[in-house]
Amino acid sequence: MQIKKDQEAKLGYWLILPTVLSIGGLIIYPVFYNLWLSVHDVNMNPTMPNEFIGLSHFINILTDLDFWISFRTSLIFTSTTVIGTTLLGLGVALLLNRKFPGRAIVRGIILLPYVTPVISAAFGWKYLFNPVFGMFNYIMVDVLSILPQHINWIESPRYAIFAVIIFNIWRNFPFAFLMILAELQSISDTLYEAAEVDGATIWQKFKYITLPELKFVIGALVILRTIWNFYKFSEVYLLSSSVEVLPVYIYEKAFSTYSFGEAAAISAILFVFVLGFIMFYVRKVLEW
Amino acid sequence: MVGKESIRSKIIFVVLLITVLAFVLIPFITMISSSLKPNVEQTQLPPKIIPNNPTIEHYQGVLNPEIFPFLIYFKNSLIVAFLSAGIGIVIAIFGSYSFARLEYTGRGVIQRGVLMVYMFGGVLLVIPLFQMISKLGLFDTRTSLIITYIVQTLPVSLYMLGNYFRTIPESIEEAAIIDGCSRFEVIYRIVLPLSAPAIVSVFIYAFMIAWNEYLFASVFINSSSLRTLPLGLNQLFYTQHYVWGRMMAASVLTAVPVIILFLSVERFITGGLTFGGVKE
Repeated sequence: MQIKKDQEAKLGYWLILPTVLSIGGLIIYPVFYNLWLSVHDVNMNPTMPNEFIGLSHFINILTDLDFWISFRTSLIFTSTTVIGTTLLGLGVALLLNRKFPGRAIVRGIILLPYVTPVISAAFGWKYLFNPVFGMFNYIMVDVLSILPQHINWIESPRYAIFAVIIFNIWRNFPFAFLMILAELQSISDTLYEAAEVDGATIWQKFKYITLPELKFVIGALVILRTIWNFYKFSEVYLLSSSVEVLPVYIYEKAFSTYSFGEAAAISAILFVFVLGFIMFYVRKVLEW
Repeated sequence: MVGKESIRSKIIFVVLLITVLAFVLIPFITMISSSLKPNVEQTQLPPKIIPNNPTIEHYQGVLNPEIFPFLIYFKNSLIVAFLSAGIGIVIAIFGSYSFARLEYTGRGVIQRGVLMVYMFGGVLLVIPLFQMISKLGLFDTRTSLIITYIVQTLPVSLYMLGNYFRTIPESIEEAAIIDGCSRFEVIYRIVLPLSAPAIVSVFIYAFMIAWNEYLFASVFINSSSLRTLPLGLNQLFYTQHYVWGRMMAASVLTAVPVIILFLSVERFITGGLTFGGVKE
């Protein structure tokens, strides 16, 4: 039997080897390599040697106003989209948590924004947000008169953040919806029936039965969405490159001005911040 | 009273449902409607959903290689997505079987290590990977994208397949082993056929991620002939090919294959096996 166990273990190692090699080589190693780059003056030509400069990049970044502006943009973008996707996902899940004809089709339709390629969705929204003939301006200004004049939602640095937030919520709320709906469907009807016998109102049922049951899934959704949106690049950049969240700031530093070392240092700062958030959140909010 | 109440709540339900569907669908409707509008109608006010004179000229333009490189980009996306998903699934089948069924020291550590990948977004990896790809001489090759996409989708593929493999009764596998099958034969003859729906779904998931990817493609690829769809279309947006109708037609044609693939495996992907198993 011992021989068999050894054989099994051996096979286990062989089968996991490709995974370990590829993740080790293309994720774990690059993370450390990034740290190494962040303390070097990285040559524009990747085949030329780099010069060690210690923490200069970090000092430059932390005293650079542009970095802090970008950091603030990231905080605004992430917090609004995390709240927006979670609440909208919760609302739509509660709405659809009943039987009605065509429910499966409606659920499939709601998932479309999440599975459509970003590039297609971004073009659709760019057209909607067009300053001259876009539907969004037309409805907000000419039909509903909520806004006084047409706004360039895509290119104006001041307003583009709104477009990016709306786009992100539209694209990602289906994920929250799907997860919350699955959880809602697993809540036993008898709990609600018992509450009704005791004369509970709709709000009381929601507060004392539904929400506690959803606590775990919402907690998990918030942390995943926060991590993902802090690192979000394409959904921001492809809609409007004038919204400088940190990933866009890093990208431009690295590939427009070729300051690889400095960009690597900003990545390291971003990572440490997200890691800190995760640890805080897991301990204080989720109380794991 | 009860009847009235339920009619009122039904109306509220229908109104809310239509609002949600409108919010979800308006960008798609805009895209399709604009792709069918002749150029003069693109900028008309007020914006109309149904074109006065629908035309398929934009689709013809997009599919004509002499005026628009859409088909080249499409082919590149197809090659990259197909190969990365295909190689990825083989690695993931081996890896997840190893996690699900074989016992060895260090398994738990490796499994947790794979999950840790959640904490590293693409933007953290793009600078070191660009340096590595350049040093390896892989800059401006499809290979650079294929190997990157394999690794990006691997954690989720391992998670989804591992969960599925655990639902296969161990007794079937044990019986086969007693009958003299080796572990490889067990995988090949029992586990793979039983897991076909899961394997197809994971393949499609990986395919979609590769099809959609922009960040790495924009950094690793330079030649116009190697551009994938997201990269190529975004660059066209800033050139003289920037014709709304044509961009919209290209967007529709980019989205359609992915939406069809998704709908074909929707039930599995949304079937609860995925929780925590989706990574962006």
